[in-house]
Amino acid sequence: MNKKLSREEEMKLLKRHEEARQANAPQVRPGPGGPGRRGPGPMMYKEKPKNMGVTVKKLIKYIGKSKYLVFALLFVMVLSSLAGLCAPALQGMAIDNISNGLGNARLIKILIALGSTYLLSASLTYFQAVYAAKLSQKTVYTMRRDLFEKISYLPIKFTDTHKHGDIMSRMTNDVENVSNTVSTTLGSLVSAVVTLIGTLSVMLYYSPLMTLVAMVSIPLTIFTTTMMSKLMRKYFVRQQRILGSLNSHVEEMVSGYKTVVAYGREEKSKARFEEINREFKHTAIRANFFGGIMGPLMNMIGNIGYLLVAAAGAYFVIKGDISLGVIQAFIIYTKQFTRPINEIGNQYSQIINAVAGAERVFEIMDTEPENAGELEALDSGKVKGNITFNNVHFAYKKEEPVLRGFSLEVKAGEKIAIVGKTGSGKTTIVNLLTRFYDIDSGEILLDGVDICKYSKSTLRKSIGIVLQDTVLFSDTIEANVKYGARNASDAEFDRALESANADVFVERLPEGKKTLLTESGQNLSQGQRQLLSIARAVLLDPKILILDEATSSVDTRTEMQIQSAMQRLMEGRTSLIIAHRLSTIRDADKIIVLADGKIAEYGNHDELLAKKGEYYTLYKTQFAGIKT
Amino acid sequence: MTENKIKLSKYLKPYILFAVLAPLTMIGEVTIDLTQPRIMSEIVDKGVMAKDLPLVWELGIKMLLLSFAGGIFGILAAFFSNYAAQCFGADIRRDAFGKVMSLSIEQTDKFTTGSLITRLTNDITMVQDFVSMLLRNFVRTPMMFIGGIIMAISLNVNFGLVLIVSLPIEIIAVLLIMRKARPLFTKVQTKLDRVNSVVQENVNGARVVKAYVSEEHEIERFDYANSELRETNLKVQTLIARLAPIMSLVLNATVIAVIYIGNVQVNNDLLQVGKIMAAVNYITQIMMSLMMLSMVFQHITRASASAQRIREILECEPVISSGGGCSRDTSGSVEFKKAVFRYPGTKGRPVLNGVDLSIKGGEYLAVLGATGSGKTSLVNLIPRFYDVNEGEVFVDSVNVKDYDINELRSKVAYVLQKSELFAGTVADNIRWGNDDATDEEVIHAAKIACADEFISEFAEGYNTYIDEKGSSISGGQKQRISIARAILRKPEIIIFDDSTSALDINTEAKLRMALREELKGTTIIMIAQRVASVMTADRIAIIDKGVIADCAPHAELLEKSEIYRDIYDSQLKGGVGLE
Repeated sequence: MNKKLSREEEMKLLKRHEEARQANAPQVRPGPGGPGRRGPGPMMYKEKPKNMGVTVKKLIKYIGKSKYLVFALLFVMVLSSLAGLCAPALQGMAIDNISNGLGNARLIKILIALGSTYLLSASLTYFQAVYAAKLSQKTVYTMRRDLFEKISYLPIKFTDTHKHGDIMSRMTNDVENVSNTVSTTLGSLVSAVVTLIGTLSVMLYYSPLMTLVAMVSIPLTIFTTTMMSKLMRKYFVRQQRILGSLNSHVEEMVSGYKTVVAYGREEKSKARFEEINREFKHTAIRANFFGGIMGPLMNMIGNIGYLLVAAAGAYFVIKGDISLGVIQAFIIYTKQFTRPINEIGNQYSQIINAVAGAERVFEIMDTEPENAGELEALDSGKVKGNITFNNVHFAYKKEEPVLRGFSLEVKAGEKIAIVGKTGSGKTTIVNLLTRFYDIDSGEILLDGVDICKYSKSTLRKSIGIVLQDTVLFSDTIEANVKYGARNASDAEFDRALESANADVFVERLPEGKKTLLTESGQNLSQGQRQLLSIARAVLLDPKILILDEATSSVDTRTEMQIQSAMQRLMEGRTSLIIAHRLSTIRDADKIIVLADGKIAEYGNHDELLAKKGEYYTLYKTQFAGIKT
Repeated sequence: MTENKIKLSKYLKPYILFAVLAPLTMIGEVTIDLTQPRIMSEIVDKGVMAKDLPLVWELGIKMLLLSFAGGIFGILAAFFSNYAAQCFGADIRRDAFGKVMSLSIEQTDKFTTGSLITRLTNDITMVQDFVSMLLRNFVRTPMMFIGGIIMAISLNVNFGLVLIVSLPIEIIAVLLIMRKARPLFTKVQTKLDRVNSVVQENVNGARVVKAYVSEEHEIERFDYANSELRETNLKVQTLIARLAPIMSLVLNATVIAVIYIGNVQVNNDLLQVGKIMAAVNYITQIMMSLMMLSMVFQHITRASASAQRIREILECEPVISSGGGCSRDTSGSVEFKKAVFRYPGTKGRPVLNGVDLSIKGGEYLAVLGATGSGKTSLVNLIPRFYDVNEGEVFVDSVNVKDYDINELRSKVAYVLQKSELFAGTVADNIRWGNDDATDEEVIHAAKIACADEFISEFAEGYNTYIDEKGSSISGGQKQRISIARAILRKPEIIIFDDSTSALDINTEAKLRMALREELKGTTIIMIAQRVASVMTADRIAIIDKGVIADCAPHAELLEKSEIYRDIYDSQLKGGVGLE
């Protein structure tokens, strides 16, 4: 992390700059100190647009993944434009037929041919639209899937330090931009290129000299496009970023709505939203304005080209270099030549916007994934559960160590309780054992093997964990409890519920285990949610069980009942229990008192009481309920 | 369909000037666009063919100037339409978010976070794009369409007859397809909600996903939502893909008919050949404008599906409405009278089944009870997160329903079970309690909450930036920051909903002492699980199965309440004799 310091400093400045605009108070990135889960600070992305070419290349690679579709689409497009060329010719023949009075029989034949061409053209149009839709949907689907997969395998640090609303915005809004462009602009882009090449070759055939004159407008086009895309990109990239913060604000305020309401922050939250909204509006107006003037600009450039060709043509005709017929043809082709350029100009902003969106998507895709550590794919069934921490040092932030030479040996089947002040690093131990974060120095062994040598899935599968923050998904109770063990039988499921003491209230729910949990979980109390997450861990049947404040919201009588049930469960399992209630930890084989990133005291309940040290003090407070 | 537009169209009113100017300037651009080909042909016919170079330049400059003017009109039209549409969208977004912020908790629960986000961004963008598109095609397309029809009929009435047959077919085709597409567009947005929700759940619950090695399962779950979105999108796009070919087919059949009829008429010397050509050109023009119109229709359909979803938010009336009153009393007393409560949409036994409880101003009341016994529900009624189904709740002797809701909530500080921190610094988060608080006040509140001890150890102190959802600090630290936030509010009533559960015993004891000392005169309602946390309270209310089983001081309860004794023994037995 040290080597990134300069970059972090830079990001810090950027962040500060951004925050300064958003809030009155000076804002800084995460400070040091307090242990617990701490990331090294938000990984801010620069607003400055990156290399557009790289993004476009990646985007093309994505579209190119559906090779057959692209070919099919191109094929249909070429056919369709050929049919488009045939129709006017046949129309002309029909009119000529009438004016020259060549007879009804011939006219009907021509009209039948014309009708078939129309029929062909219509069906080609249909297939073109369908293929374009398929291609765009497939591209977007793949992009979303890859992005989600990527996020799933990114280290915890990523979700700890990124705005969740922004991640969501990338997943939907940014990807959507790409989708719209692929389906609408790709078609006209291809036909534009085909027309350009076609007319250009005909023009060269007629007169290379005049072609050169006609091409004079091209540098002008390129210059304008480059200038404009710089402007547009700046605003489109910013627009997508602000859309991300708009999303973040909504997400944050809605998911924390109870606090918002409790503190009467609705108006403040609205004001903040309004601020982002206004900024969004201003940026969008600018971005789309530049997008909107592309068309008129291109039209003007086209007209300049036309005038040059006409003037040059007149000059050459006067000089007698070129025949009148050639000039006439040439002028028509020049018009045909500028039309596709105008078309691209009109859709240019959409393309730029899509690239801006794609850029934000690829930013995440390029993030370093979690190291899978699959050196030794040991079978989780064979894990016994001996855990050794050997002189472990760890800091979320370099200068603020959380663990300083932490050593601990836990034998398989032991029940260890970890106590200590808030922020003393208890949860950090969990974070390290599960490799949510990796240690700085020292080693952590599982059954005598460094945990880095296990695949992450093996390691985590052998650990059942109940976290401080209860996370349940909006699904049925059954699906939530079977989260880690989807193949569990009903009997196993019932047993898990029972041992977590969750069976009673689940049965009482009108829809029992099929009850759908809502997002905010208003239909269950916090304690009940904790019981469900305990059941979830129990059903996993792990060798190692970690309870991190798992029963903090459960009443003590229920907790006792869980404990007696768990007593049986914990047999043959290594358990680490982090708790504040001494009643929860009294029966542990060993109790560890954590202080200053090290073990301060160590022993069983009676030994520690006899010592009259820190644990004794803690215990007395709990008993007497007064300060020491 | 039109109903939606009427509703949302009022948002266009403030920008009506721009909304009118956009098509007007567009007329300018179109007119110049139409004259340009004439000058171009003049350049060729009169200039080039006549070998008149000066005339070429003269006409050319004229054309350039005209196209320059046309470009200005075009730029103005782009600006006006874009400005009106963006402002329109921003205003809707502002009001929709404002509405969300005024809803009751049960209502925001009903819309999921994912769906609210989609509606506020994606749906509004759809409607906004439609407006911008409408403004830009407002004049051109109908002008070309109607003009084309009139011109074709004026050429020959028989051509008009052909159009009378073919145009209704076109219109019916458009309407049929759009009617089928409309529900599909709604479905697309719902599927997008789903994608949003899965992503949100996953980023919020990343730890559990990883701990249970469920990445693959989640990817599958996402894939399901993602595939469904794709399928629905494909369905609607394939449906719409039929539109263009059908329309061009019908119109091209018209072209054939016109040529054939023209032929008959020419043979009968009723028509010149040139007019057939002109008619064919006009029909092509009608076709082009019809294509544009069908695009507009497609946008209308899509936008109306989105507009419906936005309206669902805008039309949602808060279930809990402000009463408008206040109370002169500021003692902080709370009284429940036969309060019955069940969560909206739930069946079975009510969570609270006739609670009678009177809390004096300045009293320290602890609430103890089994998991799911209704502790949180009880205190939720005080700031009116929810309303009672029966019975009444009084704060300072006034029914909570009669209060101005902000007045009521300013009397109460509520520390939630699950501490919610927001983007910003530690100080920002504490200042949620009171924006105008001085630094000293913030630090003082943090000291009472026992938060100063760890905050001041951060290198950046109170300016430490809190990571997403407070993931950078431990659970106990989060709780203490939330407590400081509540204290800073200087409320009459402070509610701790089991919000010291992640604190260690020492800290909690210290916090309790500080609270008693510093918050004299403030009513404290503390939900807790630990006996040690509650035994020093003035009274302890035991809640059981939705009613107050007992409410008395510690010593008294120990004597008469079996439930309390049970809890007491379970937590503290074995400690006897320690002294």
